[in-house]
Amino acid sequence: MHFDWVLIERTVAAVGSVIVFVVAAVALKNDWKTPGIENQVFKIMLALLAIGGIVAFLAGIDVLGRFAGAA
Amino acid sequence: MAVITVPDGHAHDDGPDQLYVETRELRLQGFLLFLVSDVVLFCSFIFAYLYLRNSGQGWPPAGISRLDVAFAAFNSMVLFGSGCTMHYALENWKHNNFNKYVACMVATIILGVTFLGGQGYEYTTLMLKDHVTWSGSGIFGASFFTLTGMHGFHVAVGVIYLSIILLQSIHGTYTKDKYFGLTAGTLYWHFVDVIWVVLFSIFYLI
Amino acid sequence: MATATVHAGGIADHVHPEPQGFVRKYIFSIDHKIIGIQYLITGFVFLVLAGLLAEVIRVQLMHANGGFVSADTYNEVYSIHGSAMVWLVIIPLATGAFGNFVFPLQIGARDVAFPWLNMVSFWLFPPAGLLLFGSFLLGAPAAGWTEYPPMSLQGAPGTSMWCAAIFLVGVSSTMTGLNFLVTLIKMRAPGMTFTRMPLFCWAQFATAPMSMIATTALAAALAALFMERQFGVPFFDPTKGGSPVLWQHMFWFYSHPAVYIMILPVFGIISEVFPTFARKPNFGYKMIAFSSVSIALLSFMVWAHHMFTSGLAPFLQLPFMILTMLIAIPTGIKIFSWVATLWEGKIHYTTAMLFAIGFIATFTFGGITGVFLSAVPFDLHAHGTYFIVAHLHYVLVGGSLMGLLSGVYYWYPKMTGRLMNDKLGHWTFWLFFIGFNGTFLPMHMLGLLGMPRRVATYDPQFQTWNQIESIFSFVMTFALLLFFANMLWSLRNGKKAGSNPWGARTLEWQLPSPPHYYNFKHIPTVFSTPYDFAEPLPYAGLEEELTDSPGPAPAVAH
Repeated sequence: MHFDWVLIERTVAAVGSVIVFVVAAVALKNDWKTPGIENQVFKIMLALLAIGGIVAFLAGIDVLGRFAGAA
Repeated sequence: MAVITVPDGHAHDDGPDQLYVETRELRLQGFLLFLVSDVVLFCSFIFAYLYLRNSGQGWPPAGISRLDVAFAAFNSMVLFGSGCTMHYALENWKHNNFNKYVACMVATIILGVTFLGGQGYEYTTLMLKDHVTWSGSGIFGASFFTLTGMHGFHVAVGVIYLSIILLQSIHGTYTKDKYFGLTAGTLYWHFVDVIWVVLFSIFYLI
Repeated sequence: MATATVHAGGIADHVHPEPQGFVRKYIFSIDHKIIGIQYLITGFVFLVLAGLLAEVIRVQLMHANGGFVSADTYNEVYSIHGSAMVWLVIIPLATGAFGNFVFPLQIGARDVAFPWLNMVSFWLFPPAGLLLFGSFLLGAPAAGWTEYPPMSLQGAPGTSMWCAAIFLVGVSSTMTGLNFLVTLIKMRAPGMTFTRMPLFCWAQFATAPMSMIATTALAAALAALFMERQFGVPFFDPTKGGSPVLWQHMFWFYSHPAVYIMILPVFGIISEVFPTFARKPNFGYKMIAFSSVSIALLSFMVWAHHMFTSGLAPFLQLPFMILTMLIAIPTGIKIFSWVATLWEGKIHYTTAMLFAIGFIATFTFGGITGVFLSAVPFDLHAHGTYFIVAHLHYVLVGGSLMGLLSGVYYWYPKMTGRLMNDKLGHWTFWLFFIGFNGTFLPMHMLGLLGMPRRVATYDPQFQTWNQIESIFSFVMTFALLLFFANMLWSLRNGKKAGSNPWGARTLEWQLPSPPHYYNFKHIPTVFSTPYDFAEPLPYAGLEEELTDSPGPAPAVAH
């Protein structure tokens, strides 16, 4: 059986990144009002994780990525 | 006889004692500053990579094959997913759901190891199939392997750290109010995640 | 009878048990005071070694075609001289020695935030020094303390040792910066807001983030150079796609803040010495404090003024030129403030004060030549000449070293309980001042006449002045030997100092000399800055410090 690995990887990336984005956004929304410096840092990191989700999604659907496709 | 008293402003009833509160503040500041210096370390090498790449040789340099974006996107999912499970691990600890906490920690560790395995696969493909090596492929190999290698090293350290935290929490070292090691571990793991967002973007997407 | 009860609790009252045994007390000590003294001794040992290298340089340069050492050895000598002075002498003395000993006492703390980390920081330092000087055995680096590729890529194995040595001492410095920053933010005594802190603490507060952030950038550069030399990983080799200018960017991004790491703590020392011996508060306390912080910030934005001749595009040179000129402003504000502190004060000419006043003269001179150099057209002519050597020695020796010597005379009584001999100190100062200026003043002229730096032989037209410089350098070296003799002699024979021989007002002077291992029996409360000589001391809770009452009980292990 020959799998199109590239398609599988891209699908996982596209679907997974949506999940990651949702998790990060929900966590950010729920924890928005927590005090303390560690919580401010967590919020920044969750926001960057959400951005990571967006970036990975765009890579998954082949919008971003100079080297689209396997070598 | 004059008595000068200075109210210390901290309640002494239940909850963690003041010594712990103040020690934790010191440790937290120290750990955050350590993360800042680690960010500077990565930024220095990222600057070097962008500077060298911008020196007009064309990218990728002649004779170097392209990077596998699809696989890297998949591996990024593994790592970002571990960031989500790590977040839930801390949440579950705070809400006293010990079993769910353990499950999330185990998931995080497994995903972390999987990411490292994926990096190992990527490295062997690059080195054996595409003949891109650390020292033999000009600045492409130098910057790619140095930066992703540094990152992978940080992930490996994180996996070990999280495993130790998991064992300690099973052993009962942490309580509902005293769990700074877990907070630090979560901060570190998110930091490793965020660095990967940047590395993924600058190596695979631009 | 007044009693002070301070319900501080927590970290403020947390006392470690007293260390037992010689090893825990004096070798592997976690006490910031002992660690500070360890840095002081080790730094001075390296000062002697690096100073000997300097004298090798001066002997070689006495003759235009001197044969004291070969040209290759000469290159190694000045490379290690510079590297050692920067990383093994000035930075450890300014941050590790005085930083460690003084500021925790001044903020009313029992120790730094992470005492064990402090000990590790110190113990990285001697091995790093051994590695650096040991590089002579394998062929020391020979491309200057700046080790530009491609020369440093081709250098003898000692260059890799240099990388490792500086990396180690850099890790030490980064950890110290982190430690100090957390201590200053979190462990000030009750009532000590930032604007009531002594100015020495402000200086350390501005230096610590530079130590932390800039040194990490250096670690990256050193790691890259090491990887390229040892494993062939190309970063800087142009034949493999690398860039030598990249090294310069990475190196100077650290090394420019490094020079401010070397001077800001010394500015702090001057800010303590001047009010004490002029019996006046510092003029412009807030200006001095904020200018320290702005210098620290600006220091990250000027690095390429070391690279004006490296082929940078003019649109890059211009902003660096302007920012470099800007950074002279906060420094100038400080100089004016210090001079105004002296104005109409009652000056006590102790040795510490002499070195501090001398500092104003020589550092200002060095700062002015720095402003000359900030102008790109001037720098294009002066770069790589003895003008630069003159400038850097005026700010680093006339500035940093003289300020550090002032600090030694000032705080030696607090560290040891005895005063250094003041008469010998006066002789030391004048011999040093004359020797220093005689050595480095003519170098400005020689540089502008065209004598390049880092050369073992030179055009005979410069010989007379070089001989004069060498002779004056021997005078300066003799003065330093007098200084060390004074330090050693005074340990046993110095006059007993008591707790406050200078009548100073910061917290460390309200404690016995040397202080107990726990520093304070009761953490004091602070009500204002310490410098206002017209007011009583702005502290509460210090009544028992100089009595024989027992110290605080060690806290239960946490």
